[in-house]
Amino acid sequence: MENEQSYQVINESPRSKKLTWLIHHFQREWRLYIMLAPTLIWFILFLYKPMYGLQIAFKDYSVFKGITDSPWIGLEHFYTLFENDQFIRAIKNTVIISGASLLFGFPVPIILALMFNEIINPKFKKTAQTIVYLPHFISAVIIAGIVITAFAPSTGVVNLLLNALGYDSVYFLTKPEWFRTIFVGTGIWQEAGFNSIVFLASIAGVNPSLYESAVVDGASRWQMMWKITLPCIMPTILIMLIIRIGNILEVGFEMIIMLYQPATYATSDVISTFIYRQGLQAAQYDLAAAAGLFNAVIAFVLVIAANTISKKVSRTSLW
Amino acid sequence: MSQIMNMNLYSRGDKAFVYINMFLVALFTISTLYPFIYVASLSMSMGEAVTSGQVVLTPVQITFAAYEKVIFDSAFWISYRNTFIYTIGGTLTSLAFIVPCAYALSRPQLLGRKYWNIMIAFTMWFNAGMIPFFLNMRDLGLLDSYLGIIIGFACNAFNIILLRNFFEAVPPSFEEAARMDGANDFQVLWKVFIPLAKPAIATVTLFCIVSRWNGFFWAMVLLRDESKVPLQVYLRQMITQLSDDDTFSSSLLEAAYSFETVSAAIMVCSIIPVLLIYPFVQKYFNKGIMLGGVKE
Amino acid sequence: MSGVKLEGVVKSYKDVTVVHGIDLEVKSKEFVVLVGPSGCGKSTTLRMLAGLEEISDGQVSIDDKVVNHIAPKDRDVAMVFQNYALYPHLSVAENIAFGLRIRKVPKPRIEELVKEVAHTLELTSLLERRPADLSGGQRQRVAMGRAIVRHPKVFLFDEPLSNLDAKLRTQMRAEIKQLHTKLGVTSVYVTHDQVEAMTLADRIVVMSDGRIEQIGTPMELFNNPINTFVATFIGSPPMNLISTTITSIDGLVYADISGNKCLLPQLENPCDLEVIIGIRPEYVDIVPVDNSSAVPIHVDLVETLGSEALLHCRIQESAFVVKVDTHGKVEHLKHLDTLYFRQDAITVFDKTTGRALSRSSVGCNA
Repeated sequence: MENEQSYQVINESPRSKKLTWLIHHFQREWRLYIMLAPTLIWFILFLYKPMYGLQIAFKDYSVFKGITDSPWIGLEHFYTLFENDQFIRAIKNTVIISGASLLFGFPVPIILALMFNEIINPKFKKTAQTIVYLPHFISAVIIAGIVITAFAPSTGVVNLLLNALGYDSVYFLTKPEWFRTIFVGTGIWQEAGFNSIVFLASIAGVNPSLYESAVVDGASRWQMMWKITLPCIMPTILIMLIIRIGNILEVGFEMIIMLYQPATYATSDVISTFIYRQGLQAAQYDLAAAAGLFNAVIAFVLVIAANTISKKVSRTSLW
Repeated sequence: MSQIMNMNLYSRGDKAFVYINMFLVALFTISTLYPFIYVASLSMSMGEAVTSGQVVLTPVQITFAAYEKVIFDSAFWISYRNTFIYTIGGTLTSLAFIVPCAYALSRPQLLGRKYWNIMIAFTMWFNAGMIPFFLNMRDLGLLDSYLGIIIGFACNAFNIILLRNFFEAVPPSFEEAARMDGANDFQVLWKVFIPLAKPAIATVTLFCIVSRWNGFFWAMVLLRDESKVPLQVYLRQMITQLSDDDTFSSSLLEAAYSFETVSAAIMVCSIIPVLLIYPFVQKYFNKGIMLGGVKE
Repeated sequence: MSGVKLEGVVKSYKDVTVVHGIDLEVKSKEFVVLVGPSGCGKSTTLRMLAGLEEISDGQVSIDDKVVNHIAPKDRDVAMVFQNYALYPHLSVAENIAFGLRIRKVPKPRIEELVKEVAHTLELTSLLERRPADLSGGQRQRVAMGRAIVRHPKVFLFDEPLSNLDAKLRTQMRAEIKQLHTKLGVTSVYVTHDQVEAMTLADRIVVMSDGRIEQIGTPMELFNNPINTFVATFIGSPPMNLISTTITSIDGLVYADISGNKCLLPQLENPCDLEVIIGIRPEYVDIVPVDNSSAVPIHVDLVETLGSEALLHCRIQESAFVVKVDTHGKVEHLKHLDTLYFRQDAITVFDKTTGRALSRSSVGCNA
């Protein structure tokens, strides 16, 4: 008993000291909290509150009863989902489209950065960079519009070229076998230039004296590119690769919504377009939310794993 | 890059390498540019020339009939005006949220700084997804309203972190000097940090403007009222009509414009503002993107 | 004018205490320099004085007013930062005027004050420039201009010269000293450079590991370091230290150096014990003088500085440096084999505590 009492007495004074410290702190720094508060409230209202709403994935959601009062039904939506061929197909398509984008799209910005680096004329370099960054800033709607126009069966430039070469017109956007090629190709066209910025910045960080000593040693530019530039930017390449693998479930679905049609669903329907159709078009909110939750959880695990690995690889964290 | 700039010092192999490389880059650049030229040419060609498949590179039988059609379409102007409202209103709102927040998060004296940062960064890794977000907007009464689009997308973790990293990299003595000079946090931010962080703020502003200008999915989902729809949604309606009904354009064969030329004209009108602001901000984003991306 | 007082000031972060209870009184108009190796807590002490760091315990007063919880802006102090912290987007004039504008001083008054300061610091022709267009020394002057324009009670300097090259540093050092003489404002100056401390200070505070080792005028510290830390920190090259044992014969105290007996100054409790004896490189003689003891040496290297030369030698296998006047010749120094230690030039330190056991009397004569 005595021990306890004395303990409390000792404990009292630091606590009140802490309190005075806090009062002084807020008197001095209250402005910081005023600056922080609106954004935190925004995050709670627009990003964390929907997380509470995710519970409808386990509920028989009724618009009239609301999120909280709808009855729980456990994992039923998930059973439904995994018995649904369309959902399984969407998962498969997501991974295939993403994987193809990674496989074909990942090396392009690196090559582009290496090529930019070898350009001697600064004006040419600047102009070329300005142009290849541009498509990144153009909306999915316009890019899709361009694709639709260019691949149109009778008037599009692609078919005009095919005709000129003696082939028949192909209505590309109704052919499931063409969808992935067109989508991945468009993605590369749109983003390769912009994605090269990261690698260019990494190249800019290479110690110039490495090149100077290589020149003195008689290395050709080709050799320098392979033996100096590429190894020096390897860590960046590795990190970017890990990030991309971590984001494999992320597909530019705005573009897919623009480009796909029922005829091509077999290859074009991905998880997010599936959710969009089931949830927002067919109003099956609970089922679509379950699909979204499944997607988000897998994506979360992948991203965390990617970040952990990249931390280990480079001791550089992404955030 | 301190490679030798004088070509005369190059070996023959190196010269060949440099020229081949230049050629390939030029090729890539042209292939990036071509689709835009194609669309511009379509928009300025006779509808008939387009539907009969004559337009490949340059305009055929130059006419501005498609632009006339667009200009006299009130729905185009309404959506154009809406896009300006969403872009300007949305960007200013975003900056008003993001800049002070990023500054506060960058200050070591902020209590719970680590937790606030995690709270914000966590949303980059995990989000509730489309449906709960939509239902939340509905419950907040933000469907079909300007406010919903402007406020509902005001913040994102990436921009906050990008700016926070920049603020963190400012030497602490700038804040301390300003404090000793009598400035409070608002003044430190306004008079010292914002001018110092101009490249980062320009980058974030560019990101906001671009995403606002280009955003269409949520505008399509959240807005029902035609008079509130932004340009991208209007454009999508035009384009989907085109792709759904390819034969429809042939009925307009006699006209000076066709669906192709009209939608190309709208695309051009939508791209032009992006092209106009692009050069001003482009110089900043190399730096800005690196700041946001990788942090020690 | 106003003084500064620190009483039992402590700074700790979570588990680490970086300043362990400092007591220091700076008199009005005095120029005090805090000096010590990096991480000794000198900058933290200065920042607590400025109000940029909170104090964990103790009391800070400026002008007899406790300022523990007063914001930096209300303490009426001005600080010159190591990196100057000049706002790159503002001109020199705007940089100097920044604090006045924040304090809403009327515009004509600001202009007047800026002009006055610019005149004092010879910045008049640079007022419209941006910091990026200035040289290191000019930036330094702008940083000082920003501090003095407010006529604060106390100036604080946080290693203001460490970003300058050696030549400029010497020049700016002189300018700071002159400015202090002209304005007579109480100043606290932090540096790790003991030469700066010696040349600028009215009084020096030597710090190490968050504690004050010694406070005194430059010459007091030079002649009578309180312990081996101060002895080696102040002076360049530092004081030579030799570990040895002492013996007392007929009331006189001798140290054993390389088998020779070396006469030491009088100690309070002479007895057989292990000591460290210290002697400044400047106070070693190469010819016999009164009360001096001969010590055999081996010269490894002679560094010629011009009027002076540094002899790097060995005594009992430890390095020993001597500074001698060359009088234009160095050849003979290479062959030197004996040095002479005057009794009154030697300081004796306790081997275990490092504290001085004797006071050198050289300074008393000077």
